[in-house]
Amino acid sequence: MNYLSLLVLIFAPIIVAGIILFPKFPNHQVMVRRFAKFFAGLHFIYSLLFLVFFDSSLYGMSYEKELTFLNMTWLKSLGISAKFAIDGVAVLMVVLTTFIVLLTLVLSKIHIRSKHKLYYSMVFLLESAVLGIFCAKDMFLFFVFWELSLIPVYFLVSQWGSKDARRSAMRFILISFVANVFLFLGMLILYYYNFAVSNVMTANIESLSMDEKIYPLWFQIFVFANFMIGFLFRVPFAFFHNWYADIQSKSAAPVNILLSGVILNTGIYGIIRFNMLVFPEIFKLFAPILMCWGIINIVYCGVLAMVQPDIKKTLSYANISVQGFIMLGLGSLNQIGFNGAVLMAVSSAIVFSALFAIVAAIQFRTKTTYITSLGGLGTVMPRCMYFALIIAFGAIGVPFLIMFAPKAMILTGAMISNLEEELLVKILAIIGLAAIILSAGYVMYFFYKVFCSVLLEQFRRVKDLSPHEISVLTTFTAVILYFGICPMSVVQIYQSVSSIMLDILQV
Amino acid sequence: MKDLFNVYLPEFIIILFTLFNMSAAFFAKKNHYKFSKGVTLCGIVFALSSTLFLEISTDNIFAFRGEFVSNIYTLFFKILILISAFFLTLLSRNLLKAKRDRAFEYFTVFLAGVLFAMCAVSVTDFISMFVSLASLSICSYLLLTYTKSANATQLSFGYLVISSVAAALFLLGLSYLYGLCGEFGFWQVSDYFSANPPQVLLTFSLILIISAIWFKLGIVPFSSWLPDTFAGAGYPIAAYISSIPPLACFGVLARLLMIMLPFTSGLRLTFAFLAVVTVVCASLCAIRQNNIKRLMAYSMSVQSGIMLLGLCVFSVYSLSSVLFYIFCYIFANIGAWAALILFFNSSGLEDVDDFRGLIYHRPYYVIAFTLVLISLAGIAPTCGFVAKLYLFSAVARSGFLFLPYLVVAMLGSVVMIFAYWKLIRAMFRRVENTALIDTSVMSSKFILYACAFASIFCCIFADKIIQLCQLVSYYM
Repeated sequence: MNYLSLLVLIFAPIIVAGIILFPKFPNHQVMVRRFAKFFAGLHFIYSLLFLVFFDSSLYGMSYEKELTFLNMTWLKSLGISAKFAIDGVAVLMVVLTTFIVLLTLVLSKIHIRSKHKLYYSMVFLLESAVLGIFCAKDMFLFFVFWELSLIPVYFLVSQWGSKDARRSAMRFILISFVANVFLFLGMLILYYYNFAVSNVMTANIESLSMDEKIYPLWFQIFVFANFMIGFLFRVPFAFFHNWYADIQSKSAAPVNILLSGVILNTGIYGIIRFNMLVFPEIFKLFAPILMCWGIINIVYCGVLAMVQPDIKKTLSYANISVQGFIMLGLGSLNQIGFNGAVLMAVSSAIVFSALFAIVAAIQFRTKTTYITSLGGLGTVMPRCMYFALIIAFGAIGVPFLIMFAPKAMILTGAMISNLEEELLVKILAIIGLAAIILSAGYVMYFFYKVFCSVLLEQFRRVKDLSPHEISVLTTFTAVILYFGICPMSVVQIYQSVSSIMLDILQV
Repeated sequence: MKDLFNVYLPEFIIILFTLFNMSAAFFAKKNHYKFSKGVTLCGIVFALSSTLFLEISTDNIFAFRGEFVSNIYTLFFKILILISAFFLTLLSRNLLKAKRDRAFEYFTVFLAGVLFAMCAVSVTDFISMFVSLASLSICSYLLLTYTKSANATQLSFGYLVISSVAAALFLLGLSYLYGLCGEFGFWQVSDYFSANPPQVLLTFSLILIISAIWFKLGIVPFSSWLPDTFAGAGYPIAAYISSIPPLACFGVLARLLMIMLPFTSGLRLTFAFLAVVTVVCASLCAIRQNNIKRLMAYSMSVQSGIMLLGLCVFSVYSLSSVLFYIFCYIFANIGAWAALILFFNSSGLEDVDDFRGLIYHRPYYVIAFTLVLISLAGIAPTCGFVAKLYLFSAVARSGFLFLPYLVVAMLGSVVMIFAYWKLIRAMFRRVENTALIDTSVMSSKFILYACAFASIFCCIFADKIIQLCQLVSYYM
């Protein structure tokens, strides 16, 4: 156990990014790529060890490590320290992140044709920042990594995207910084509030609380809303979602996978970590509203997904739509709903990364992602079609595939939820059930338009998948099958977090 | 003699070296640039080391019949002023290249400005405060017109006019104050008002007095001179104006507020309002600038607005946060100016567009410059982030009253991030740029790297510096 250090896990990618970017490092693309892939593989195995040795029965966080310089705590006099620790949800997200990064790097070979050093170092910087978000035990440390993760996203989108990607990336950064201001303000107030009540100056996530009855309710709601705005931008959630489809449709194919697989989970994680575990009372108060919003999100973005002219946009709206289920599960405030929501976060990341990998293969061969100029690719790319079929079924929620268990758990959770607004919640659960048809609609729309209808003349000589792509898609398919067949083996990893949440809510 | 060694030894040394420079200016016949710079550096180093001999105690030690105070707080500011003066002396190399015969004059005025800044930190009555601040203004003006180019003279005239208006307002406020209580000393005035009922006129006269300080800091109603003057001034002089006067002003302002705040009404909210307006206006102006010196001028405005917001929430905690902020600001600011001087002197880069593609040409300079700019913007791995975190948390803990101001100030500082971001993005553009950059300038390079290193170092070991700042503000 001693050789598993979170510091190595988080900071190794940053160091590797520095090594790659160092001017003396050979600027030969094969060297850079192989080095990056080799490191990503090692890093994935290392992160897997955390999962293997994770004690899921432990109540609270484990693998705690503190980053110190000359044995000095960072900002000790302000109660802020550079401590890292993970719990069940975080360890799952960590492994997911390293997994997606590894597969993305395998796929990057054919898509990234310039500035290799910058690309690979930015991917590692992003990985490091996201791992830092999941592992930070201190609120302000969390914020540091939260801001750090924006910089690589800007470069990844703007440098390898289409022509006007730079403008979209700039807009994304701008919106995110404004959202971060709210998040930071919420953190500052929470930090001071905690000090005023408990007289201990600390920013430790586990010891922060706001459930005392000293400050007025509106003030607590204000702080809660600040956090919520910061995270909902990142999730993204309906009415905060514009940036997502925008930058997804303009960025390069591997970056799509990174955005959907790595970036979105940080928002969900933030909502669980702060809005649920720090403000349980307020979350309980707002749960029906959030569930309503979730349903609106599912329906609204699901409908939007079906009318897009671009398959990248279709998939990104579908991705946003699925986040509504997560909110439905979190809002139901019982164990099965929470478990379903976390499982949904992980599985939607995997499914949509896989779908974007399919899109990457199509875009590379046909040089377009517009639905009107695609069609009938199933006859020339049969392997791709079969993979796409399994993944698409996974996305719909066919039994024994990935999305079935989380959707069933979330809807069950919403149905048996003992919130006060019983009727409303039950109606919402029923609408959610009906909305699964919607998800079948957009996934099948995508699948039909791309693979089934009439093959265009210019695509007759398109080649089928290359070994790289087959290996990546096979891995994705294996994971999708595994999640479908034994979801409970995943759920039990973070069982303790949901029991913590229930304990907090009972008080 | 005991006073000398207990209280004002550094000032005394600076006076000696100023006098030496001044008299040498009469007798020097030819190029003595290196000699005069050496003398100035010697003086600053002597003054810095002489602070070790000062008696540091937790109580105030007075001199000149109680008009000059020395304690750990003044020492903190004096050491910062001397360190920045040391850096600025090294940076003034190329400005003097053309006018080498007048190096002694330059350093006379330079050292006099440092002297008055140090005095301003220590003053305890309004008359000496006026004298030090007005003399500091005169020194700045002399430095601004040092190059005697038509442009500089014209643009600095605005500085002179607004400076005299501010001085007139100061005197007006002072006359009101004297009419109210018949005293000039800070403590005497506070004694008077603790015995007698407080009056609204006191607040008004204090606002008039402090407007002279607002003028120097570039707070909004008095900030119109900043961009023009910076655009006209030489780089080292703009660097001087953006680091030495703010230090002096915050030094005296914190003392004034500490003594006077209990007797005033509405002063804190006025401060907070002006600070927020400054942050928003200056950052909105900054994103549209293309000239690098104007950008830096607005940057100075924004930074002092944020510090003013921290200062008006007056507590030990917030004062220490302002001290830490100014500590970080000085290093980042001087580092940024060192980089600009480096780029300007060798190839005349003046606009943001000129910096395009520099990363591929001079990666190490650009990385150090980027670090310093990130520190100014207040983003994570630098001390600017810790400083902002500390200052904003100090404002947040002062209660509901300042929360709206805090929100607006934070939004304004986000806008300012984009002004810096424009510059950084330009440097990272993939454009061919073969600007000839002189690598032989050891001094600017050294300062740039030192400041970039300091901004990382102060983030990692921020705890020690924060403890020092808390100690300093506790014993103020």
